[in-house]
Amino acid sequence: MTAHTAAGKLQGLADDALWYEAAHVVGITNALNVVADAGGRTPGLASVLPPVDERTAAPEVASVFAEIRAFYARPDVPLPFRIVAADPGYLADLWKAARHAFEANRLPRRLKAALAFAVSVTSRSSFGAAFHGEEMRRLGVGRAGLLEVLGVTQLFSSYTKIADTLQLDPDMGHIAPIDRSPAPGGAAAAPGAPGSGPRP
Amino acid sequence: MPTVRLRDPSEYPESARALFELSKSWFGHDFPVPPAMSRVMAWDPEFGGPHGRAMKRAMAPGEFSRAEKEMVAAVVSGMNACPY
Repeated sequence: MTAHTAAGKLQGLADDALWYEAAHVVGITNALNVVADAGGRTPGLASVLPPVDERTAAPEVASVFAEIRAFYARPDVPLPFRIVAADPGYLADLWKAARHAFEANRLPRRLKAALAFAVSVTSRSSFGAAFHGEEMRRLGVGRAGLLEVLGVTQLFSSYTKIADTLQLDPDMGHIAPIDRSPAPGGAAAAPGAPGSGPRP
Repeated sequence: MPTVRLRDPSEYPESARALFELSKSWFGHDFPVPPAMSRVMAWDPEFGGPHGRAMKRAMAPGEFSRAEKEMVAAVVSGMNACPY
């Protein structure tokens, strides 16, 4: 992992903010996928936690469902949100986090969909691969672009297993430029403070 | 710790050592010693050669930039829990 983070930084994605955003996309994608894939199997989560019916959802759930449909420009609410909607407060916060992670910020939305697609393929999530693949297409990525991301995902699923089999130690992290900017809204690190010095 | 002895670049044949120069230009970094993965892939050029060409084809700028694809590769590595 350090090799590609370093390579990406050398290729111009030098700000840590970009990588924080990417990590949030990875995390929330996996969170949605685990529930969706468990829920979509028979018997699955749905046997003990039936998805909330969009037509009969309580008002506070219906309003979140409307936001979800609008964000993804689709007529239905994806399964993982309907499963957790039995707790409206939980659904509301999960959706806020998911929407924030996937909306365009420093990274464009189409790249975030591509990252989510790669995460889903790598983790063998049938829900995620289909959902985020469709999102990529909806956001303007062509079939060639989809295949580009699939190719990168496939080849680096090879490199990583070669590295793991031979227990290779990371040896490229040091080549990346260091972003010394403070956390958003914070102050620069004082000289001598952790994070202010050179990379160990 | 690696489960195999990673060979010094001088232990590779001349043709394989040429691949190490390519890795410098690929990463845009003048490695004093080729990265471990470069040395592993140069071990058998009949595997490493086509594997590397496929990788470079997949990583070439297209609908996504090389940098964006490095980020995709990083998240794939993360999902595979590969620290390298």
